Amino acid sequence: MTAFFIRRIFQMILVVLISAVASYALLNLAPGGPLAGLRQQQQSARFQITEEDIARIRAYFELDLFLPYRFTRWLVGVPRGPITIGGNEYFSDLVVGCRKPLESDVLNEETGKFEAVITGCKEDVFMKDLAGRRTSRGILLGDFGLSWRILRDRPVSDLILSRLSKTLQLIGLSTLLSLLIGIPLGVYSAVRQYSKFDYIFTSLAFMGSAMPTFFFGILMIIAFSIVPKEAGWPYVPSGLSESVRDYTIPIIGAVEAGSIKDRFLHLLLPTAVLTIFNIAFYSRFVRASMLEVMRQDYVRTARAKGLGERVVILKHALRNALIPFITIVVFTLPGLFSGAIITESIFAWPGMGRLYLLALGDFDYPVAMAIFFILAVLTVIATLMRDFLYTIADPRIRLS
Amino acid sequence: MSAAQVASLSAETVTIEERTPFQIVMTRFRRHRLAMVSLVIMTLVLLITILAPVIAPFEVQELSVNKYFVPFGTVDEETGRVHYLGTDQIGRDYFSRLIYAGRISLTIAIISTLISELVGIVIGAVSGFFGGWIDNILMRFVEFMLTIPTLPLLLIISSMLLRNEELIPIPEPLLRFMGNIMLLTARDSRNAVLIIIILAGFGWLNAAQLMRGMVLSLREQTFVEASRSLGASNYRIITRDMIPNAMAPIIVDASLGLAGYVVAEAALAFLGFGIQDPIPTWGNMLSASQEFMLDRPWLPLVPGLPIFLCSLAFNYIGDGLRDALDPRLKL
Repeated sequence: MTAFFIRRIFQMILVVLISAVASYALLNLAPGGPLAGLRQQQQSARFQITEEDIARIRAYFELDLFLPYRFTRWLVGVPRGPITIGGNEYFSDLVVGCRKPLESDVLNEETGKFEAVITGCKEDVFMKDLAGRRTSRGILLGDFGLSWRILRDRPVSDLILSRLSKTLQLIGLSTLLSLLIGIPLGVYSAVRQYSKFDYIFTSLAFMGSAMPTFFFGILMIIAFSIVPKEAGWPYVPSGLSESVRDYTIPIIGAVEAGSIKDRFLHLLLPTAVLTIFNIAFYSRFVRASMLEVMRQDYVRTARAKGLGERVVILKHALRNALIPFITIVVFTLPGLFSGAIITESIFAWPGMGRLYLLALGDFDYPVAMAIFFILAVLTVIATLMRDFLYTIADPRIRLS
Repeated sequence: MSAAQVASLSAETVTIEERTPFQIVMTRFRRHRLAMVSLVIMTLVLLITILAPVIAPFEVQELSVNKYFVPFGTVDEETGRVHYLGTDQIGRDYFSRLIYAGRISLTIAIISTLISELVGIVIGAVSGFFGGWIDNILMRFVEFMLTIPTLPLLLIISSMLLRNEELIPIPEPLLRFMGNIMLLTARDSRNAVLIIIILAGFGWLNAAQLMRGMVLSLREQTFVEASRSLGASNYRIITRDMIPNAMAPIIVDASLGLAGYVVAEAALAFLGFGIQDPIPTWGNMLSASQEFMLDRPWLPLVPGLPIFLCSLAFNYIGDGLRDALDPRLKL
């Protein structure tokens, strides 16, 4: 048992490491990136960008370092400079990068175009040059570096923290609501199997699971925001997490921008979308699980003992039916962040998901990689917790 | 009783009407009314998209100058053609674009499904059949891929690939072939092929796990043992005994996969990391309509409903197939 978890933890650490490397490689090995636009500007006469400027910008993005050094600096924050042992500096003359690459245009035989090819190096970067540079402590230690574009030179962690509470608000509220509504719905539907309620419920849940989030979100905006607003009925604001200026809604009255009422109204639609989706998913699962459990012998025994139907269902059946459900809920938690990406982008909700899209579209790689890394870690933790909870909730399960 | 006696016995006494497995499955499938309705709808949709150039009154990129957002059913005065669903913000016919978009979206979904199921079948079968270190490596890899949050990774990969389209070399004839299917130029179809690669690259994991599970249980069956004792090679056992007998969950998975791919492709395009605008897909049409829905609230329904309908129909078909093939199956 303990051996299983120790092995599992090692596996998970490996998963985190590999996904860190993978995301880094994906974003850094690809051509283009932040310097692509600069090269075009360099060729136009109006902006005189000198070689020195390019070198400075390359140093800013750490593009002047060789990839292995760049990667370890990003991952764990080393090398920071020459190693000093007993007053002596070691490795200070080690070449770790190239400040000004030597480029020459080479004729590509196939396409007949000239292509810039790096053929050598005019000026090297030495280990001792790294000493003065700012370094993050490394992504593994929770330091995600500085943002490149969105909030230039501000720590990525600040940016993420400012958005995190918004996402947690959305996810927390919708998870809570969907559990509170979804479990009773699933149980009721299972107890009244083949009833009219069960039939309607299962068809609705089936449609819900086939409905794409983005389309459903747009439908909600149309139905509860746009159409009622035009008709002069009370409507719900859609978009952003709070309004910029004051507004009045029929019947509800004046709403001050940034007030609690304002924020609550803005929270309604995105929460509703996420909640309805989770309900469709959770209650289907609870229903199936309940139907399975209610066929078991111990439920029949409980009934035969003369226990009331309420006790049989809530105590004997539901508790056992929730065992697999707990693990499902835990495992979907990181998925909620991914799901929030789409919901946040429809409702312009300033959370992590939107930040992620913004960062990917804007070449702000430190931000994108940080969010991806956090998501990967969350998934891994959820996987571990799922296995762990499984053994706690159900002592019959033995892992090896 | 000798074998001859048994043979004569069964021939005389068994009088049940003989039906092929296919017929049995079809009878059971027909009982699922919604699945049948879905099958009819999807056949219609496929026919319409195949006949796109015949049915669509306008070309994909054809602009009707000064006719932005004309209402449904407006007749073009010069040529007498009808804008059945009106025009979009730059005067392109909505109905025609919708059909062409359907052709592209469905092609992507179908080909992604084919590729991912094929890869899944091969990898799952090899992994389950040979076991040992091959199984260990392959399944660890599958598990690893499943632990990575899918949508964020899809977004990273597509944002990178769409900026560097030439990064993955795709042979020109393939591009031209795909372009012919989707009615695109070879250059435009590169975008679609990249999306197929991205989607299928993540889609095979589930199929591989299913296949491996089936092969593991089939490996112990007597007919496999019989095959082996008759001297069948591994290749023959896998292709003749294992794969045909493990098809039930794969077929169900494929039809649910189709629904997933239609939605996934639309989601990528909707978020701006899929196929880009001049090429029509339901996803980017929906995303474009979002901008104008304040004044025209019905607009998003035009590209949105087909996405939902296809997803729902494929799901119902999958449900019906599961009931027909093996009601105990849980997917």
